[in-house]
Amino acid sequence: MSNSAPAGIDPRGPRFGATITSFLLLVTVFLGLGSDTQQAAFFFLIFIASLFGIGALLGTARHPYGIIFKAFVRPRLSAPTELEDPRPPQFAQSVGLLVTLIGIVLALLGVEYAVAFAAGAAFIAAFLNAAFAYCLGCQIYLGLKRVGLIKNAA
Amino acid sequence: MPFEIKLTIVLSLVLIASLAGWYWKAHTGKVKLIKRGELVDLSKLDAYKNGKKVTRFGKKVTLLQFSTEVCSQCKQTAKAFGELEQQHSDLLHLEVDLTNRLDLAAHFGVLQTPTTLVLGSNGKVLARVGGAPKPQEIQLELEKLDIK
Repeated sequence: MSNSAPAGIDPRGPRFGATITSFLLLVTVFLGLGSDTQQAAFFFLIFIASLFGIGALLGTARHPYGIIFKAFVRPRLSAPTELEDPRPPQFAQSVGLLVTLIGIVLALLGVEYAVAFAAGAAFIAAFLNAAFAYCLGCQIYLGLKRVGLIKNAA
Repeated sequence: MPFEIKLTIVLSLVLIASLAGWYWKAHTGKVKLIKRGELVDLSKLDAYKNGKKVTRFGKKVTLLQFSTEVCSQCKQTAKAFGELEQQHSDLLHLEVDLTNRLDLAAHFGVLQTPTTLVLGSNGKVLARVGGAPKPQEIQLELEKLDIK
């Protein structure tokens, strides 16, 4: 298993990204609850979904937050005590992409507060990851795979 | 929607997520004793260690850790168990990747990783740990099993 694993990343990178993401999602929830700001929330969610898309396809190291982390944050920190497999955060990005996409589709179908709900759900996962090092891949991957919702590894 | 209600909803969301996080942190990684545990069949596990197929359990105890590729805590857990193995000669740490072994995941009812089964010398399941184990709890469990 370990010899086929891709090169490790600094585990603080994805958590740095999750902190920004959870803040943006919280703003989106707030905007999504007001009739005059719903439009803005919708575009916020599209923006966040695009970022999740980059993370899901290219990995968190090539995600804009990953690049910001590497350029500006990591040089100010001590060296990481150990490196992390890039696949778990990439899986979490895929889940974020799915949840935000569902919100976008439901909003387009005219479902009220769809943007706020999707942003709220994604916020909980991103916040847990940022604040508690909660790992979606550890908690839901096997369950989803067992019921046949995932075919291959992320 | 009035500003106060929007603000209340947003703050409640933060509160709920924080409570969920604390609850999860407090409960994850606890050692649960199993009363009539099954005997694990090593040949069905198809477990490898250092490139060799494992055919024998640890002398006194085996820590059977289930992992997947997308589990960041599995690596840390494997490292901690590896250190225990160095300290105790009669302890064996086995890691089995369930990413492509859904049969094993179903058989042992594994939903989260890491999930660790503590096996006795004959392969009988004595305890189960869901999530990254708390080091003190594992230590206590090993002492109970007379592992020094």
